[in-house]
Amino acid sequence: MSDRPNYLLVFATFARNSLVRDMTFRANFLIDAVSSLSWMLMNLGFYELIFMSTAEIGAQSGWHKYQFFIFLSTTLFINSVVQAFFMPNASELSELIRTGNLDFALLKPIDTQFLVSLAKIEWSSLANFLFACGLVGYSLWRLDFTPQPIQFVLYPIYLACGVAMLYSLMIALSSASIWLGRNQSLYDFWFYITNFSRYPMEIYRGPLGTPLRWAFTFVIPVLIVVNVPARLLAKPLSAENWSLAGFALVATAASLWASRWVFQRALASYRSASS
Amino acid sequence: MYAKAHTWWTILRISLEERLVYRGDFALGTLMRFLPIVTQVFLWKAIFEAIEFSRGGASAAGGEAIAGYSYQDFIAYYLLTMIGRAFSSMPGLASGIAQQIRNGEIKKFLVQPIDLVGFLLVNRLAHKLVYYSVAIGPFALVFFLCRGFFPGWPDATTVLAFLASLVMGFLLGFFLEATLGMIGFWFLEVSSLLFVYMLFSFFFSGHMFPIDMLPGVWEVIVEHLPLKYLAYFPAAVFLGKVQGPELARALWVELAWILFFIVASRVALSRGYRRYSGFGG
Amino acid sequence: MAIIEISALAKSYCIYQKQEGLLASVRGLFHRQYRTVEAVRGIDLQVEQGEFVAFLGPNGAGKTTTLKLLSGVITPSGGEATVMGYVPWKRENAYRRRFALVMGQKNQLWWDLPAQESFRLHQQIYRIEPERFERTRDELVDLLDVRGLLGQPVRELSLGERMKMELIAALLHSPEVLFLDEPTIGLDVIAQHNIQVFLRHYQQLRRITILLTSHYMKDVAALCKRVVIIAQGRIVYDGSLAGIIDRFSGYKVVSLLFPADSEPPRELSRFGEVLEEQFPKVKLRINRRTVPDVLAGILAAHTIEDVSVEDPPLEEVIAEMFSLAGEQIAANERAERIASG
Repeated sequence: MSDRPNYLLVFATFARNSLVRDMTFRANFLIDAVSSLSWMLMNLGFYELIFMSTAEIGAQSGWHKYQFFIFLSTTLFINSVVQAFFMPNASELSELIRTGNLDFALLKPIDTQFLVSLAKIEWSSLANFLFACGLVGYSLWRLDFTPQPIQFVLYPIYLACGVAMLYSLMIALSSASIWLGRNQSLYDFWFYITNFSRYPMEIYRGPLGTPLRWAFTFVIPVLIVVNVPARLLAKPLSAENWSLAGFALVATAASLWASRWVFQRALASYRSASS
Repeated sequence: MYAKAHTWWTILRISLEERLVYRGDFALGTLMRFLPIVTQVFLWKAIFEAIEFSRGGASAAGGEAIAGYSYQDFIAYYLLTMIGRAFSSMPGLASGIAQQIRNGEIKKFLVQPIDLVGFLLVNRLAHKLVYYSVAIGPFALVFFLCRGFFPGWPDATTVLAFLASLVMGFLLGFFLEATLGMIGFWFLEVSSLLFVYMLFSFFFSGHMFPIDMLPGVWEVIVEHLPLKYLAYFPAAVFLGKVQGPELARALWVELAWILFFIVASRVALSRGYRRYSGFGG
Repeated sequence: MAIIEISALAKSYCIYQKQEGLLASVRGLFHRQYRTVEAVRGIDLQVEQGEFVAFLGPNGAGKTTTLKLLSGVITPSGGEATVMGYVPWKRENAYRRRFALVMGQKNQLWWDLPAQESFRLHQQIYRIEPERFERTRDELVDLLDVRGLLGQPVRELSLGERMKMELIAALLHSPEVLFLDEPTIGLDVIAQHNIQVFLRHYQQLRRITILLTSHYMKDVAALCKRVVIIAQGRIVYDGSLAGIIDRFSGYKVVSLLFPADSEPPRELSRFGEVLEEQFPKVKLRINRRTVPDVLAGILAAHTIEDVSVEDPPLEEVIAEMFSLAGEQIAANERAERIASG
């Protein structure tokens, strides 16, 4: 037996097991897929209505209809991936901590964060991912300019950064339940914070908006998550975007590092549960 | 008769006590629920600014640019729908009834001299009362902070109509969802149906946006659905978007819908019981 | 060198007053009320390779906590321990591949999937070569006689069957040290027996080291020569099962059978404590030192058809010992506190 497990193979087994489980409850799988799609369609309808009354969101912000739809698709891409791969595990982690079943994860000769973050996959959430592919394709076609090849290359990279940052926030919050106990409010907190990330940065202006924008860019960088990749694809390349893009890379690395630190500290304080 | 009233009062009191234990958490949670309004504030500001800009900055403070609503109107509208939803939303009512049917708990209502619908109504009333007794603090705070968005206090008739629409919204929401829950007597898996209802309700009740925004045929359809009374109507009344004879007519129609659903829930309940006992054991 | 060495191991918990709701939790971050619970108060133990040791003790004694410390699941407040030379709470992968922990009340297998899928996952995580994996799995499955159940979702299995699957999962990677926490709890007598037979066989076959905690005397008597009794976080006895009775029980139980037609005896209480009196059978509890004299006295005074002298039930002895030990520990602590002023 060699020492390190083959992480790729283990992940493949997780994926397969989750798929088998999802297929066992086929009806639920379909309902979940349809429900997430329906929410998306409603949102799309809402923005269609808005764009009947205005040409863009934010004066001179450049977010016209199809640019905004690309923004929406970006939100969809990132959120569907997070919901499919990480959200079920984050809520499971809180449960594991509460019931003491985290013990079993600690017994395995494999990185605990890996095990705990990827064990369950909710395949039905990827329905939105597919929808986003369609939406982004359609929007690109209707766009009034054609993005350069490098924008297409950078887009998925920054999507991954966005996913990584949301993941970090999520795992940090779940780990915190070791100290704070089971708390629905933690989950709500996640929802309210990420709510801010669903809109272009440009809308946060004025005496209240600017500090908000600053806080959510540099303190809890949720605004970077969707905005950076969306801008990269929906708008022509410009110099001012480069610094933000560079910062996004730094923020991603910092978030991942910080969340791992929180996770390790949480494990060290773990006290199991009486059986 | 007195004994019955006493029973209802006891149930109410116990439910109230149960909820009040989590007071502080409650208040904080309620305050947090207003957070999405913050993003809406910025979003609509950005939209109206774009409109203003495209018109060369001619109109004052955005004007009544979208379906007769100004920027301030939009924010006021959303805040008011939060009140409307506080009255008319019935989380878990329909699914709870369906679940009780599914796992047989409903039998106890067949055997005991308690009316299912009445019991649930009192239960919900208790829940809402507690919600308001605690939530009134955060609500008042938010409304005070946002008073700049409101066009001032409306006249007495409008306020009365507003309060009436809230109370009726509560009754309508309750009996509508109760009737939906009764579908569990005929179909085992109601969750998909309930989900579809929730979706429609969210979109067409005015929770997401004022119904006036809908174009042409959509607006006509939605005008005739009872869903608008759950969120849109009270807000529109307060903001003076529905007035005079139109207002009176709308209130009567709402009353009719309530009566319809009361009857529907009663019929569904008795038919359902009959069908249920037919299942044997 | 012993395979398990424990020295002055201790674990205490701060139990914070439970805060309900978010607001109270946040306030609780600044202003906490707590009390300290000492689950393990300094344990010294050495276990040699190949031993099968039982941990006995009342609830809350610290048995499970000790196992969790040795598994690295929790970190101690003080003291040291090594298992196979590793410090458990460092959670090194090299250590984790060489031991296993099975907990009777907890399930690690995927609930909705057949057990064999969980086994496959184990194989991936522990990096077991395919042929070795299949050989081990088949061997275990046959020993426990569960071949037909491998394809069924775990949630459909009975408690006993699930426990067997848990054991298989734990042993797939052929650990050298096995920790078992109440493996037969909640199982019916037959299932318990099956598991005991399996464990005995497996241990003799593989010569692995096993630490077992249990409430059931039958488990302990059937499997372990060495018994460690833990009460209130400390070891109060370490030796053989028979030795417990010798050391801790001051009594014997004498059962008398009187002739059916004789007169019911009176004043038996002067011989000893009357436990049961259902004429013609009587049970007396007698101080073991006085047994010969008492017997002589009874036989002189009455006609007896049958007599037997037995040790009291093991459970009783141990229960008594727990409470005695608890009193003694409390007394010691009072003395310590007085001595330290």
